[in-house]
This record gives sequence, C-alpha cells and structure tokens, in this order.
Amino acid sequence: MTSTLTSPPPVIPPSQHKYADIIHRLEAGGSMLPDTPDNLMQIIGIYKAYAVPMDFYWRDLLYIAEQVFLEPFPFFKYFISQEYLDLPNHYAGDTADLRIWRGEAAAHPELLEFMATGEVKKKLPKLLHHLWHDRVNMEFAEACMRAMLWHRHMYAPVNQFDAYLDTDEYKQNADRAIRAYFKNNPAMLALYKLFPEMFYEKVRELSYYSNLGLFWEVMAPVFFEMSDIYDEGGFKGVPDAMNFLVNGIFAIAGRPIYHHVYVDGECYEIIPKSKGFTWLYEAALPYVEAVFYRTAPFRGTKSYNAQAGQVPEDQKDFHYGILYADVFPVGTAGIPPTLLMQDMLHFLPPYLVDYYKQHSRGKDDALIQLGITFQRSMYNVTSAVIQALRTALLYPLDDPNPKHRMANRQFFEAQMDRFLRPEARLSDIQTHDYR
Amino acid sequence: MADIVDIAVNTEGFSTLVAAVQAAGLVDVLKSPGPFTVFAPLDDAFAKLPPGTVQTLVQNPPQLGRILKYHVVSGKLTKADLEGKTSLTSVEGSEIRLDLSDEFEVKNATVVMADVEADNGIIHVIDNVILMG
Repeated sequence: MTSTLTSPPPVIPPSQHKYADIIHRLEAGGSMLPDTPDNLMQIIGIYKAYAVPMDFYWRDLLYIAEQVFLEPFPFFKYFISQEYLDLPNHYAGDTADLRIWRGEAAAHPELLEFMATGEVKKKLPKLLHHLWHDRVNMEFAEACMRAMLWHRHMYAPVNQFDAYLDTDEYKQNADRAIRAYFKNNPAMLALYKLFPEMFYEKVRELSYYSNLGLFWEVMAPVFFEMSDIYDEGGFKGVPDAMNFLVNGIFAIAGRPIYHHVYVDGECYEIIPKSKGFTWLYEAALPYVEAVFYRTAPFRGTKSYNAQAGQVPEDQKDFHYGILYADVFPVGTAGIPPTLLMQDMLHFLPPYLVDYYKQHSRGKDDALIQLGITFQRSMYNVTSAVIQALRTALLYPLDDPNPKHRMANRQFFEAQMDRFLRPEARLSDIQTHDYR
Repeated sequence: MADIVDIAVNTEGFSTLVAAVQAAGLVDVLKSPGPFTVFAPLDDAFAKLPPGTVQTLVQNPPQLGRILKYHVVSGKLTKADLEGKTSLTSVEGSEIRLDLSDEFEVKNATVVMADVEADNGIIHVIDNVILMG
C-alpha cells in the first residue's frame, strides 16, 4: 500500500493579477524585491550610503525650519550651525528616547570628514566647497520637502498635519513667530501687513521642512543599524531586511511631528507637540506617497505635452517618484535625484564600489548603477510600508479565515495596481540584468 | 454601577489599557457622564505590537491619546445597536470599519466580549489594537 502526501487546500484561490507572483510572495511574507543574496547586498549597501547624507539632511532641515526660518536672504541656510550639527539624534545614542538602534547620537564620522575636506580631500574655505558643489546636496532634501508641500492632502483625513496648516490656530501661531522674528525689521513687517498670506505659505513650507527633518531623523539610525547587522551576518535574506523596517515603522509610529521656531532663544510653537501629530500618519505615509510615488516631472529631463495627456490631470496620478523613474536620463541631468546619487556615491561601502566596477561600464556609470540599486532598495522600503499597513489595518498572513485572507489579497492587489502603468519599474527589478 | 475606568481597573487583562489611559491623561474624560462606547483592547492585544511601539506612545501622551481616542465612539452603542452598520466615527475623528455579518468585527479586531455595561457607556472587549487608516 502506498501513501501520498497531500498539502491542505489553499485558503483562497490564486490571484489572477498581472503581478500574481509578486502578490503571492507578499502573502508569504516576502518583499516586492526578489529574495536573492545579490539584492540583499545591494540594498543594504545603499541604505548605508543613503544614511550618511541623510544624517546631514535631517539636521539641516531642522536648522532651516527652526533657526533660519524666514530669513529674507537665506544664502547660508546650508551652512548648518554647530549646535544643529551636534544635535543628539532622539533615536540613537545613550540619550535616545528609544534605544533600539545602536548608532551614536552625534553626526556620523564619515559625514564630518566629508564636510571638512569634501571630494577634493582638501580643507578649503567652506564657501569654496559650497560653490563648487563639493558638499552634501541639500537641494535634494528640499525637493522632497517641496513634493510633500505641493501634493498636500495626502492620507487625509487621517493625516491631520496638512489640514492644520490651513486653520486659524496655525495662522495665529505663525503670526506670533513672524512678528517676533521681524521685530527689528520694519520693512519686512510692513510687507507682512500687506501680504500676510504669502508669509503664511512660506511658514507652511517651513513646517514641511520640520516634518521631513523629524521623519529622516529616525530613518538615518535605522539604515545605519541595518548596515551593521548585515556586516555582522545578521540578515539571512531580503524579507529579514524588510521585516526590520516593518518593526521600526511600528516602534517609532507615535513619535511627535511638530514645528518649533527659535527667535533669540525663545521657542515659538507653530505646530505644538500637543496636537498629537505622529511620525507614521503625518510624516512617513505622506512622504512615501509624495516622494516614492508622485513627485513631479523634473525640468530638463524630458518634454511633456500636457494637452496630449502626458501629464496626469489629477495629482494623485502623478508617477514621477523613484518607483517609476527611468534612472538613465535622471542620472544625467543634474536634477534632485542625481544630486542624491552624487551624495550616496561618496559613502558607498567597499563591497558596492567593487560590485559596480564589475558591471556595465564600471566606474563610469556607477551613478546610474547605484540609482538602480536605490530603486531596488526603495521597492523594499515600500514593501515594508505595505506590510506594515497590512499588519496595522488588516490580518495576519496565516489567518485561517478565508474572508480575512481575501481582504489581505484585495489590499495587495490594490497596491500592485499602482504599478500597472508602463513607467513602473516593478517588472524590471525582478531580474538582475536591470542595472 | 461602575464607570468605564472603574470596570477596566477592576477587570483582569486591562492593565496596559489602564496604564495607557492614565499616561494619556484621559481618566477624567472616561469618568465623565459621556456616554461613550469603548472598544477596549486586552493586554494581549498591546503585546502583539512590535517592541517599542507602546513605549514611544507612552512617552508622548498627546500621540497616545489620539490612538486611544480612536477606540472611543460617542454614545452608548450595544451590539444590537450596531447590527447593520458598516462604520462609525471615532472621537479621534477617523472612521472605524465594522462588520457584524458573521462575528462582531471592528476593523481587524474581533470583539471577544460584547456589551459590558458601565454607568457612563458600554465596553466591547477586542483582541487587537485598532489603528487609523
């Protein structure tokens, strides 16, 4: 007599979606990015290279939001003050509010070294490094902030930060800070009296500087920690790296998002912490939507004919983020994503430098290769966000209830629908030939 | 009869919820006449959240208060009152999805004990912390 092994019937039938394989992978606890050692190596390497400039971005974003504020001629806004360069990270170091990640609270040593000598490896006057663009490209951080400001209303009404910017309470708070800031500048006060809305709009932009700075303050130590874990042999595959991010998203979800301004040492709370705005709902989710998915076409890369429908009518259909980017033209045009790639190029771990030398045109197209690695890594971060939302709002992956499993399926399919448009790079990142 | 807070304090399995309500400064609100309907997560529900989640919230009372207010609805709504409804508006302001077609489900949580009467409202005990979105 022979016996046959039979596996239990699946709880729900297979998906018929174009990306059914990826949906089944997500349902099995995986990432949109295939689980291969090569992918794991690439994404962790780039997280580390991203974390170093990010350690500058968040500090300078807060410096601009809180100290530079409405400076009419902000020529030196990228010349961060020592106080903000030394600002202890709230989620790293011995003074951390929550000590999950092992990194130091102080600015990363590789960042400090680069700030001192730049790419030229010479200690020249700061202004020369600045004008030569031999520095961290804050313009990229500002482009991300601007995407969040321009798209606005994301995840409304759950995201309450954005709606708050239009309230009278916000304007009153801004008014107090504006009057204090310009108390010795009658010309600006007169201008404020004539065009108050212009000033409020500028303060709204600064509130988004603060929002993004507080968001990235968390992401920098998360990415450094991932790099350290990988170096210690800790991640066994891409899903491990994704789950690390999912846990991080939850751990920090309740971090307050606020906007404080300091005038002569006195704090003006434009968005107080007491509003209850959170890192997850008011920063992370709007950031992912605005920056990973939407942004806006970059000038100088491609001509669009809006009358022919080449630019969507609805902002929600914008698809110019990293998940859709054609990295080649982006990598040649001197625009925000290129600036980020240039920033990351300075801090690649040796194993990624070697890796890029072995492929395509080697060192000559390292910027493009790392841009595509970055794209892979952001598909993994987006996977983490999708899995975190599924955990928060839906059901466990092994839920025995078919109705619950179908709800998860519909959620995953709806997420994958966003990659049905031809510009999406989801299919490309499934293979290693895409470099 | 006891109010919502007294019931939670005197019932096993709600120590995290009680500590959270105290940390968020919502004790007085939940002792007020209300009436309120509270979807009360058990300790096990909080324990399911990844490490650090509750700690960060407890450090930040306004943010914690917002999550807790998402578990509260104005009015005294028994399970029978909720039959046929598909959503409620929480005190936090966001919608709460309901499904009473099979079990009594509140978003991705299942009600494990319905209709616990308090003199300022009603408690439905749930097995997951529910989150906005």
